Amino acid sequence: MASTTAEPRRPAVGPARRPGFVGWFDPRGRRLGGIAFLVNRITGIGLVVYLYLHLVILALLAQGPTAWDTFIEVALSPPFLALDVILLAGILIHGLNGIRVGLVGLGLVASRQRALFVALMAIAALVALAGGLRIFTAG
Amino acid sequence: MTSDQPAAARPEAGPRMVPGFVGQVLSGAALLVLLGLHMIAQHFVVPSGLRDFAAVVDWLRNPVVIVLEVAFLVVVTYHALLGVRAILFDFGFSERTEHRITGFLAVVGIATVAYGVALVAAILDAA
Repeated sequence: MASTTAEPRRPAVGPARRPGFVGWFDPRGRRLGGIAFLVNRITGIGLVVYLYLHLVILALLAQGPTAWDTFIEVALSPPFLALDVILLAGILIHGLNGIRVGLVGLGLVASRQRALFVALMAIAALVALAGGLRIFTAG
Repeated sequence: MTSDQPAAARPEAGPRMVPGFVGQVLSGAALLVLLGLHMIAQHFVVPSGLRDFAAVVDWLRNPVVIVLEVAFLVVVTYHALLGVRAILFDFGFSERTEHRITGFLAVVGIATVAYGVALVAAILDAA
């Protein structure tokens, strides 16, 4: 892990943001690396919340077919499908950005990480769009 | 949930954070495979996108499926809680508090996996 490959979390110059969690949402002086950091954390928090919601909802399966099959009817309604598209987008953004973070952390693409971030986010947008169409047209 | 910055590059973090970053990268790589399998098997190949109760039970009767799903749960829980730990550590707690956070999250992780395994057993019992 090369220590010289990491992006600075905060720019060396420019207005200082508030420290800690609140500072993530302060856009002042934020560069692309900072935006990538912010996006990764926000999507990550969202996915952690989803993971535990998912586990709670799966408990319906232990209540037998009536509870689960009733839930499926609700889960296939348009509002829930819209949430599925948001989930898919979050997974794609976090996963693809995570690949970039891993590669940069291992010192493999440090000089091209900004271009890589833009390319990966473009891929995430395209796949989320295609997946969204698939989600709304399946069945 | 990986930090955008390897801990080794953060002077305030110190070498003790490095295993966390390596763990995030390795578990993230494993998730690319396990999450991909989960999404394809549970959602993409199912016509409506969700299995009904009978189909879920049929699916879970395959031991290979149980191994893969439990492995997925273990890795995703580890990755998620390691990310939560990285976020909490950014608040600048004392080293003692950080140790407590690590211990607490380890308990949460073990409880999560135990819940998942118990849930699989309960689903098969309910069938």
